[in-house]
Amino acid sequence: MSSDTGLVVGQKRWTSWALGLLAWAVGLLFFFPIFWMVLNGFKEEIDANSSPQLFFDPTLDRYRDVTSETPGLLGFKEAFANSFWIVLISTILVMILAVPAAYSLAIRPVRKWRDVLFFFISTKFLPIVGAILPLWIIARDLDLLNTRTVLIILYTAMNLPLAVWMLRSFFMEVPRELIEAAQIDGAGLRGQLTSVVMPIVAPGLAATALLCVIFAWNEFFLAVQLNPVDGSTMPIWVTSNVSTRGNFLAKLSAASTLATLPVVLAGWVAQKRMIRGLAMGAIK
Amino acid sequence: MTDTQPDTAPDAGPDTRDEERAEERRHLERREKWIRRLPLLPALLFTIVITQVPFVFSLFYSLTDWKIIPPTPRTFIGFDNFTDLVDNQFFRDAAWVSVVMTASAVLLSLILGTGIALLLDRKFFGQGFVRTLLITPFLVMPVVAGLVWKNQVFSSQYGVINWLLNLVGIDNVEFVTRYPLWSIVIVLVWEWTPFMMLIILAGLQGQPTDVLEAARVDGATNRAIFFQITLPHLKPYLELGTLLGSIYLIQVFDQIEVITGGGPDSSNIPFFVFQRSIGGGWDFGAASAMSIVVVIASIVLANLGLRVLSGLLEGEDPA
Amino acid sequence: MNHSRPFRRRPVSIGAATVVAFSLVAAACGSDDDSSSDDAAASDDSSAASDDSSEASEDAPEGDRSINVAIVGNPQLESIAELTPELFTAETGIEVNYTVLEEQALREITTRDVGAGGEQFDVVQIGMFEAPQFGANGWLVPLDDFAADDPDYNPDDLIPAVADGLSYDGSLYASPFYAESSFVMYRQDVLDEAGLTMPDEPTWDEVAEIARAVDSDEMAGICLRGKPGWGDLGASFTTVLNTFGGTWWAANEDGTIGEAQVDQPEFAEALNFYVDLVNDAGEDDAANSSFNECLALYQDGKVAMWYDATVAAGLLEADDSPVQGLNSFALAPTKETDASGWLWAWALAIPVSTTDQDAAWDFISWATSEEYINSAGEMLPGGWAAVPPGTRTSTYENEDYLAAAESFAPKTLDAMNAAPIDNPGTTPRPGLPGVQYVGVPEFQDVGTRCTEQFSSAIAGNTSVDDALSACQDIASEYSS
Repeated sequence: MSSDTGLVVGQKRWTSWALGLLAWAVGLLFFFPIFWMVLNGFKEEIDANSSPQLFFDPTLDRYRDVTSETPGLLGFKEAFANSFWIVLISTILVMILAVPAAYSLAIRPVRKWRDVLFFFISTKFLPIVGAILPLWIIARDLDLLNTRTVLIILYTAMNLPLAVWMLRSFFMEVPRELIEAAQIDGAGLRGQLTSVVMPIVAPGLAATALLCVIFAWNEFFLAVQLNPVDGSTMPIWVTSNVSTRGNFLAKLSAASTLATLPVVLAGWVAQKRMIRGLAMGAIK
Repeated sequence: MTDTQPDTAPDAGPDTRDEERAEERRHLERREKWIRRLPLLPALLFTIVITQVPFVFSLFYSLTDWKIIPPTPRTFIGFDNFTDLVDNQFFRDAAWVSVVMTASAVLLSLILGTGIALLLDRKFFGQGFVRTLLITPFLVMPVVAGLVWKNQVFSSQYGVINWLLNLVGIDNVEFVTRYPLWSIVIVLVWEWTPFMMLIILAGLQGQPTDVLEAARVDGATNRAIFFQITLPHLKPYLELGTLLGSIYLIQVFDQIEVITGGGPDSSNIPFFVFQRSIGGGWDFGAASAMSIVVVIASIVLANLGLRVLSGLLEGEDPA
Repeated sequence: MNHSRPFRRRPVSIGAATVVAFSLVAAACGSDDDSSSDDAAASDDSSAASDDSSEASEDAPEGDRSINVAIVGNPQLESIAELTPELFTAETGIEVNYTVLEEQALREITTRDVGAGGEQFDVVQIGMFEAPQFGANGWLVPLDDFAADDPDYNPDDLIPAVADGLSYDGSLYASPFYAESSFVMYRQDVLDEAGLTMPDEPTWDEVAEIARAVDSDEMAGICLRGKPGWGDLGASFTTVLNTFGGTWWAANEDGTIGEAQVDQPEFAEALNFYVDLVNDAGEDDAANSSFNECLALYQDGKVAMWYDATVAAGLLEADDSPVQGLNSFALAPTKETDASGWLWAWALAIPVSTTDQDAAWDFISWATSEEYINSAGEMLPGGWAAVPPGTRTSTYENEDYLAAAESFAPKTLDAMNAAPIDNPGTTPRPGLPGVQYVGVPEFQDVGTRCTEQFSSAIAGNTSVDDALSACQDIASEYSS
């Protein structure tokens, strides 16, 4: 610590300022396409389909178009309600199934826990396009086509491997001594989970649940293949604005903005918790 | 347990006692095993029923010749669908696109995600806001992301990039037309960098501060601290990012359909399977065979990756 | 009745859902109650979780008739949904639930539903490609008897080429809602300024010459489709191929697919012509352009000519179009044949699995009638120019329509009548009739995968020769 401290500090301040600026630049760059989409939702169709322009007469007509309800057509409110329940129930189911499973794989591991974990992940290897016909046939024979039930079941299966994998790594962080102490106190599985494990892994649970919500909310392929009729979800509602004979970008932008808003808000609110969740040990 | 039993029972000979104990131990072990297994079973059974039944169907279809259009009866043809794949140039092309697309998207989003996480891990004005901006791409529907990028960003007529290029006097670049694969990779990187960033950010915040401070006091340069302390600490997080990123990105489909609509330079295996089946080929036998090949290849690769190279599956075995 | 059960006992209790999920017992989710009148009410109060128990036990009143209809996202088809409650349901008491899908998704879902018996839809919208094939497969209910017994339908009024294209073996299998041919649209002012004249019945050589002459940095000479897909680049290119004397496959004696003809000189000539024209005088980003991209370019004044569907004319001449009044139209360009314009229709059909065929027919009869066109012309915000074109001769005799569409209606009718549906090229081809496609199911796959190669050639990422040889391999997979 000699006379050049001032210089170092000055330099540091400069670098820090520049890095902050860089972070802002990168952030704005990443957000730009979304900003542009939101902007287009306020344009006339003809303006959205021409050279970029920053100044235009904003209009709410596209939002009015896409939210207007026509009997017999999948409307915004109905799609939203469908998506909401499907995502909520499937995410709760995922958690109900994944928490005990993760316990079995992390805290008191079964002998072949590596194989089990690998099996869970391996169920994601089959391209969903390759499995869609069997799924459709099964759904048809069980009379489940066009139901929200079929999407709840499949979204649960789709997110379960991810949840098991992530929750296991969170559970690995729970100090073994605490669990043993609880066991000595005579706590059963449920007692151990609620009194010892859960409080510690809560941020991890939240992070996992949020990921499941994001993937389920945005899922398009299964929804369009198995439930395209009027009980369907937000992505179907969004793409019903795509037209093969006529401009649709402004309408689509407005619909996309509405459809994306809920998860974006959830993501924004929960981001800190999510990082804490991932940090508490993501992996061990 | 057995220690508490007094060793002085008068009538019982040593043999019967041993047997009883062994019996009891086996019983306890079984019970213990089931207690361990029980919490796992619901999730395991659910996953087996929901994912393996369709898989078995696919396995069966892959051994048959079956088209919906024109309607043809399903006939068993053994492994012909698989042998046909060997010299199917289009399948090989799609496999190669899959490899390049997945590898480059995972790698680029990991590198970018790490860089951005390092930027965000320091205090600056508006840190929370910038982080909020950065996670948003991950939250947007893939179909929508594809349409927005294709029509509003890449387009040589109305795209923002070309508009900016024109402002500085550079001619239009037909991004999607000239560089179909890389256009898709860019969109994928845009969507997945936020995810990687979150994971890495979590890793950075879990770094023990005392070690970092000690290193600083010892006069280590930033560079040395990054490569010798931070990076090793981040290893498991990078591995998690690679694993999850690969699993999701190898299945990419929506973005390809929306941005390029396929083609020799941008059809990956899922897209090719789609084309061979419900996308117009209606050849479910061949499409199922391709899916099975994907599953087998993925299992082999993931096994190699997870068990040989990575520490993700470290952990103790039950006593 | 129908099997659409949009899961109406909403707020399903978590416990119940768990049971369902574990056991996959479909029955747990309720018996068939059709999606009908109280559905809208159900969606309105879906946020109120309190009344779930009462709703769960409540079934839709018996006797309500409702049908599920799948349609493509397209302005003309979407406007029908808006008119349905007032004009159809109020009259007949039949509720109509629409599913609006993007073209590719609609094709996947309807084909599988009709072909494999999904029973999801009572009325499906299919194209001219599918209608005769599905009819031949026995998947659709023939409409002749319904049409003959229905005084409002008037089958003789249908434009003959369109009705033929939707028939198989003399029976009509789908009723046209909207039909189009293809022609050349061009900016009269641009050609005038360059001192050029477009003949009414141009050849491709003439069109190419004009395109190259008017092509400039600010304005491309011609917009041609380059986006992969049998219905995108495949449609435009096949009309060129036909008139150049080429074809995809030779026909065997029995009409099945013969040798692939992609390696023949005519095919190479047609593809070279197309690729060269796009590269010399075509739009930017051609390999990603189809109808909508060209429409935007043309409306923005970025192209001088456009070869595409006749329905585009209505959009170019619409009140909100910046190029309204600047356009002229010419028949599809030819070379070796007399006419080359394509023929396409979106039509409504009844799958054989439909239980309430009468309700389905009532809907089809209403939606494709002259009466619907008349009420649409009066009630739609777009007015007469926005009615579904191309299906009925009476439309082109209606003075209101002619007044609104005078600049393009006669040319559209000429193009529809000229479309060479039965003899599009110079050689016999396999399968059912078709202009811009080959009427065999395999064409979907071959057309799409080959146009991916051609699109790549347009982009300059593949050579035309490589694209042709790859396409010959693809097409040969189906030769017999």
